[in-house]
Amino acid sequence: MGIINVSGLSKDYGSLRAVDNVSFAVSEGSIFGLLGPNGAGKTTTMECMIGLKKRTAGQITVLGLDPERHRQKLFNDVGVQLQETVYQSSAKVYELCELFASMYTKPLDYHSLLERFDLTEKAKRSVGSLSGGQRQKLAIVLALISNPKIVFLDELTTGLDPGSRREIWSYIKQLQNEGRTIVMTTHYMEEASFLCDQICLISQGAIVAAGTVDEVIAEAQIDLVIAFETDSDVRLLLSALPHSGQIVQQDSLVHVYTHSEQTLTDLVLALHEAQVAYRKITITYPQLEEAFLKLVNPAQKGAVS
Amino acid sequence: MTMFAVLTKFELKLQLRNVITLFFALAFPLMMLLLFGAMYGNEPSEFTGGYGAVDLMVPSYTCMIVAVTGIMSLPLTVAAYREQKILKRFMATPIQPLQILAAQVVVNSITTIAGIALLLVVARLVYHVQFLWNMPATLFAFLLVLACMFSLGLMIAGGAPNGRAASALAYLVYFPMLFLSGASVPLYIMPKSIVKIANILPLTYGVRLLTGVWLGGALWDYGRELLVLLGVTILSVALSIRFFKWE
Repeated sequence: MGIINVSGLSKDYGSLRAVDNVSFAVSEGSIFGLLGPNGAGKTTTMECMIGLKKRTAGQITVLGLDPERHRQKLFNDVGVQLQETVYQSSAKVYELCELFASMYTKPLDYHSLLERFDLTEKAKRSVGSLSGGQRQKLAIVLALISNPKIVFLDELTTGLDPGSRREIWSYIKQLQNEGRTIVMTTHYMEEASFLCDQICLISQGAIVAAGTVDEVIAEAQIDLVIAFETDSDVRLLLSALPHSGQIVQQDSLVHVYTHSEQTLTDLVLALHEAQVAYRKITITYPQLEEAFLKLVNPAQKGAVS
Repeated sequence: MTMFAVLTKFELKLQLRNVITLFFALAFPLMMLLLFGAMYGNEPSEFTGGYGAVDLMVPSYTCMIVAVTGIMSLPLTVAAYREQKILKRFMATPIQPLQILAAQVVVNSITTIAGIALLLVVARLVYHVQFLWNMPATLFAFLLVLACMFSLGLMIAGGAPNGRAASALAYLVYFPMLFLSGASVPLYIMPKSIVKIANILPLTYGVRLLTGVWLGGALWDYGRELLVLLGVTILSVALSIRFFKWE
């Protein structure tokens, strides 16, 4: 049992099934990522978990409570950042913080939160004058004011420059180090690989793969690629290697596709034995992005986010 | 401070930064008063039923202020909050969604009262307007007009599919009421065809009622006006409850 349990969750919008029989558990203190293409159902799944959307079928418990029935109670322990929220541009940063602080029984001191997120100087500035990265940091501050056990982050870094994105990543890691559980949606695979302990890959409302990042990559069964340069034609020599798949040689450049790391040793030994000179040998492991593309057929459309 | 008090204070600060609303609720009625007051003065005249022109302007412009806060400021703010997913964000807090609407109603009421107070003070100081009113009846009439316009505004805010539609609807309801209900231009100078149109606008009944009791009339002389305003209020509230979209 996790801090959040979702079982058999389905959500229909009219005749359209946006989320289809999704089940997973989030363990306490982990960073859990919901991944998928645009319109896959990530946001809908998250909003059902928060209780902002009524589910069509299935069971959800968050901290042991049903988010639909105990929405008001849960929001003391759950912090939320919504993808589409645009705060009032004429509101000042500290005014929004004061407002959110007034909603909770034991709020965190927002001054120290602003300090931590490097927003102290912006406290008296209007929301409209903030940069995209600063607005997202403010969204996290507002999500944290209740001192939540669980923080939901919906596409927090979408549209940010790489520098701001990495800054946000370090903040998310800090939240985890404080013992908070994070549930996030993203469509950046690099982000998920860096942050998430567990991921759940959704496409067209259904789970395509779930587990650790490495488990999901393994599930995609993508070959390793060994590349090197040589002046000899090695195709015949290498075809005798065990495990190896396709071998491609274009002039001096050779690519060997394999599903086993053992092939690297075999290859080097074979080249050595045949006294073939080689250089610039590299091995490339499949990344989450390739696994994602293989597991999710991007040509299919029709679901709602 | 309680959560609702903080929310109301927050919304009031934002309202005070909204130059357009402040202009139309505070400055514009004064400009009208000073302009038309300079043109017509406030001498009693046969044409205006024995009252001064400014005596009649004050209750009319009061209705104008209620219309701008109720049918423009209120629905446009609420529709924008929905479109910017601020309502949704608040729903992910312990706050009750209705409190957000209540805060908007309070803030716009405060702006309305400020506009009317300013209007009364200037009308008194510059044109020595007489307060012939039956005070409780006038207060009741004002609250009824306020309830009617604000509930119409909430219906527009809640029923419109998005911010742009809410603006379009608000303009569509507001401008005819501004010009054709007697709130800005008196109906006694309008041709019969315009008066016919005026009679389908709820604010026309508000202007008649408020002008009547402002000049010392009794509430029961305005039964039809009371019924129309009450009916529109009840209908708007019912439709708002049925069709209000939080998201």
